[in-house]
Amino acid sequence: MRRLWARGKAARAAVRVARRGVQFGAGGKIEVATPVKPAWFDYYAPRSVDEALRILDDAGRDGRVLAGGQSLMPMLNLRVVSPAALVDINRIEALDRLHVGSDGLIVGALVRHADILRNAALREGWPLLAEATSLVAHPAIRNRGTVCGSLAHNDPAAEHPSVLVTLDGTVVVAGRGGRREVPAETFFTGMLSTALEPGEMVVEVRYPRPPAGTGTAFVEFARRLGDFAIAGAAAMLTVRDGVCERARLTIVGMGEGPFRARAAELALTGRRLARNGHEDAFAEAVAKVVEAVNPSNDVHASAAYRRHLAGVMARRALDAALARAGGV
Amino acid sequence: MAREQRIKVTVNGQGHDKVVPVRLSLADFIREHLHLTGTHLGCEHGVCGACTVSMNGRSVRACLTLAVQADGAEIVTIEGLRQADGTRHPLQQAFHENFALQCGYCTPGMLITALELLRDNPNPSEQEVREALSGNLCRCTGYQAIVDAVMDAARRMQPAAT
Amino acid sequence: MSDTRFVNLRAVGSPVLPDEAIPLVEGEGRFLNDIRLPGMYHVAFLRSQHAHARLRSVDVRRARELPGVVKVLTGKDLLGQVEPFRSMPNRFSGGESVQHWLAVDKVRFCGEAICAVVAEDRATAEDALELFEVDYEPLAAVTDPRLGERDDAPLIHDSCPNNYLIKREYARGDVDDAFRNAHLVVKRDFRIGRKQALCLESRGCVAAYRESTFVLTLWISHQLPYVVRHYLAKHLHLPENEVRVIAPHTGGGFGQKASVYPEEFVCAYLALGLRRPVKWVEDRLENMVASTHARDQYIEVSVAVDRDGRILGLSSDVWVDVGAYSTYLWSAGMEPLQTAGLMPGPYRVPAMRYRTRGVATNKTPVGPYRAVGRPSASASLELLLDEVARRLDLDPVELRRRNLIPNEAMPYRNANNLMHDNVNYVPCLNLSLAKAGYERLRAEQRAAAASGKLRGIGVVCFAELTGLGTSTAVGPGTLLQPGRDAVTLRLETSGVLTIAAALPSQGQRIMTAMRQVASDELGIKLSDIVGLTNDTATAPYGFGTFASRTAVFGSGAVIQAAKELRRRMLALGAHFLQVPADELTIVDSIIQTLDRSKRLPIREMAEKSYFSAKDIPPELNPGFEVTAFYDPKFGSFAAGAHVAVVDVDPQTGGVSILRYVATEDVGTVINPAVVEGQIIGGIAQGIGEVLMEELVYDDTGQPRTVTLADYIVPSALEIPRIELHHANTPSAALGGFKGCGEGSIIGAVGAVACAIADALSRRGGDIRAFPATPERVLRGLGVLPAEV
Repeated sequence: MRRLWARGKAARAAVRVARRGVQFGAGGKIEVATPVKPAWFDYYAPRSVDEALRILDDAGRDGRVLAGGQSLMPMLNLRVVSPAALVDINRIEALDRLHVGSDGLIVGALVRHADILRNAALREGWPLLAEATSLVAHPAIRNRGTVCGSLAHNDPAAEHPSVLVTLDGTVVVAGRGGRREVPAETFFTGMLSTALEPGEMVVEVRYPRPPAGTGTAFVEFARRLGDFAIAGAAAMLTVRDGVCERARLTIVGMGEGPFRARAAELALTGRRLARNGHEDAFAEAVAKVVEAVNPSNDVHASAAYRRHLAGVMARRALDAALARAGGV
Repeated sequence: MAREQRIKVTVNGQGHDKVVPVRLSLADFIREHLHLTGTHLGCEHGVCGACTVSMNGRSVRACLTLAVQADGAEIVTIEGLRQADGTRHPLQQAFHENFALQCGYCTPGMLITALELLRDNPNPSEQEVREALSGNLCRCTGYQAIVDAVMDAARRMQPAAT
Repeated sequence: MSDTRFVNLRAVGSPVLPDEAIPLVEGEGRFLNDIRLPGMYHVAFLRSQHAHARLRSVDVRRARELPGVVKVLTGKDLLGQVEPFRSMPNRFSGGESVQHWLAVDKVRFCGEAICAVVAEDRATAEDALELFEVDYEPLAAVTDPRLGERDDAPLIHDSCPNNYLIKREYARGDVDDAFRNAHLVVKRDFRIGRKQALCLESRGCVAAYRESTFVLTLWISHQLPYVVRHYLAKHLHLPENEVRVIAPHTGGGFGQKASVYPEEFVCAYLALGLRRPVKWVEDRLENMVASTHARDQYIEVSVAVDRDGRILGLSSDVWVDVGAYSTYLWSAGMEPLQTAGLMPGPYRVPAMRYRTRGVATNKTPVGPYRAVGRPSASASLELLLDEVARRLDLDPVELRRRNLIPNEAMPYRNANNLMHDNVNYVPCLNLSLAKAGYERLRAEQRAAAASGKLRGIGVVCFAELTGLGTSTAVGPGTLLQPGRDAVTLRLETSGVLTIAAALPSQGQRIMTAMRQVASDELGIKLSDIVGLTNDTATAPYGFGTFASRTAVFGSGAVIQAAKELRRRMLALGAHFLQVPADELTIVDSIIQTLDRSKRLPIREMAEKSYFSAKDIPPELNPGFEVTAFYDPKFGSFAAGAHVAVVDVDPQTGGVSILRYVATEDVGTVINPAVVEGQIIGGIAQGIGEVLMEELVYDDTGQPRTVTLADYIVPSALEIPRIELHHANTPSAALGGFKGCGEGSIIGAVGAVACAIADALSRRGGDIRAFPATPERVLRGLGVLPAEV
């Protein structure tokens, strides 16, 4: 019976196991009939970020941050991961910070998905984030799960990573050596992998305010509402005088984390979208998406179906974003 | 490092001071240590919703919460829905009268989720009810009677019309 | 003597609120995992990670030494101590197979139990599971029944050549002639995926020896307490009266909890040896592999029709992937024999022929689950009929009209040797069509097509044989012909009537139904009638709850017992009131003359009967406890006609059900609200079956759907509002009752399957493999290349 301890090079091993499909919710290979009670761990509930970082630093690859726990606890229960140290950050008041300002949005590590949905100013200023968050699981999960936790976990079918990429957000990472800001572009490094080093944690994430004339949309196709997306798309179009000034398009569910459809974005930038000009531009963008994504087969969908769906979702997101851009 | 920790939790209005294993889930704590077995375990990975309880006023999966995380928290379970005068909560009464339970295993989670829905949205549409309950699986009823019960409870819980 | 039966006529037919639901809605239920006994240990099972392998060795030392572990049990420990499960005899068996409670030399499916660990708590037992060292020698796995039956396939059981656990050929009527002379023959191959019941509460048991009684007591989440008792006694070499089985509140059953499994038997064995209670709760991940699966069929079917579309003959070839073992009690014959044998459904089929096989594979065993083979069979024939209608340019509804067994033709014996009578196939169809507004639906479909939408309509009719008595083996081919489910009615000294029966509910409100019947039969107020729990120590012998039978059996037995009890009550009442018995009636728990001038509350009569017996002539006071059973001998057909309207998204393949209309004939209804819940619940499981539920295995026999994130069942958003109607006609059984737990799932699978196929056919597409996942729908539309 193989043990699944996250220790030594087992952080990578955990990812490899994940790659074999233990990625929770992707229908991969969890061992048959695993336990549902977690293995033992040392439990810490620090009251400050510094204290948390000290513990994480000592634990190295054996440590895991517990925020909302909606991704981590299932893995713990099923013994997919068995960290020696569980660092519960829910008592760190400084992390429970949500700043909605004209300068931007700051979401602390303890901000729950439900908090996003309950904030009217946030919904108005960052509708893409709100729309995507409303598709995350179900009320009880949203009450506990955190935005930063979702980003740190980087499940390829999750909503938040793609939204962050689309909005050009920045992740603030803290470690014993200090803080660093990691742009979305470089934060997500592969399936269930991020730029977080052992001993580090996400303390907040920042989203710039979308420029005027921007329309956004998040669409996904899942088996049931709230399930992990088989494929999805986050689109942002900034339109002025009928011309697309700026385009962002990120595809969800393609296997390696958020897929930024750069070729599609390039094809859209500078194009005239008014008066059905968007038909050709969007068709071209979709073709570039379908060409570029590289999903794999799993129990929920074949690669061919995912690829096809990526195009469908991209188109639907672009159509909705354009309708909301108002600059046409 | 200690494998146990002391927690103080209020459950259904009653305070408890207990020492618990750190790996114990809130669900197992409620069921095994407090002997409140109304909260059920259907999957222990957060999907089925049978274990849903209210923690500090919000519905949560008790199987995905550690008991030690509930230190200082206020928990409400199905057993806590009873009114001060000893009668059933209107939601429970509506479930009973609308035949909204068959085997009864999903019922505790359904009630807690419905409770939160009606607090946030006292007059939901059928679609809103279905959406709110979409994280609580039921295998017996096909949901129709449950939806009817929640709509019925919403009516009962509105302040009387003048 | 005046017929004073049903003088109340209030309870039967009315939606009486079920008292049995009250503890459940208050969180005071006692499900298996809620049972706690002093000194109780917890059991966890080490399970095979290989689908097919020799077990070279199992090293238990480190597991055994973990603090908190009390005992470790292996398959070898049990050899000679207990009887393994030998496959149940079946007339169509392919060979005998043996299932050890814990694997000994070989494991045959992923998830098969190898060892049991007993520990002070479940988490410690699970810690111990990680400390076993198992040396497997993997063997080639069989994962496809059509490959598994070949001569060169690996053998799963040496005693079952070609891996046949079940094999049958059947023919009636001149099928060759029918096909030769047909105006049209349509043939289709269908693939029905594997699913499972997914009860919200998985299995479990608590076994205790000498806990307050001097017998082995097993609390078990199960549908058949007496059956469990019988086999437990047999396999543990105990006298049956030294075994007690209790079914506590049970969170769903659906047939999955009607099989006899090794785990609970292991727990019973452990309790005997340890002299301490042991509990085992099947967690969800175990449940995905350790409890019986269902369906998993390959169906090749052809129908021959004349130029009017009338069925001349039906021919089918069925392969069922029945998993590694013949499930204990039912055998592997359930799905294979029912799928092929019951395919004609409510349609006139003059000649039919089939070949069916239950082929063993290295997967979880397949057992009985709601409606067993009928949903697959019905869906296959219905899809075929829709294709016939398209080819003959006939409305599919008209085609069905021409083939349904009309009431005027009954009693009608079909080619599968079943006799149809007292059932409303055509009236159900008519009512469904009227309520659905069929013509308008077709018009809306045309309009939808004009705006680029892909809309489909499915109309299906089904027959469901319920309440089978001793005339038929309820597990086809087996020797299981139960028909002695007894009910005991007893008048307590307080005047309360108790009903004892070993007919557990998993939500069907069986006790409420029996109380309603008893109330009407005896004139006793509902509030004066209580049910006793499903405990073999207090309930009379009964087979249990399965196959939509308890409304017929339980209520029938109540009627029989009530007849005698009523006679005794009136006889004693006559004595006390000094009035002839035939001038008395019982109303609202009071024995009284018809003009109500003389009255004797039952409570008073009962108290006198027990405590003042010396004052009463003995022949008038035989006691007020009557046990009776009812064997209807023959089953009663229930029926339904379901209409489903779907929209198919041609870009994603997503299917949404816009409208669902169901009309059913469930005989005389005891509690309409309970019936409605059963029907809608069945439809919901059918929608899950046809759209999303699928247990996937790879070609090495590894299950790929092992959590609830992978195995998708419908939520409240996937089930539409069901418009339910009735066209009931009483059965020939006592009370006119029929069963109703299973029929609706048949209708749902067929109606939605046909609706999707109808939508796809508008664009020349088709669908043959189910569940109709969005991807399969797109492949059927030609948007994605077809699966190889």
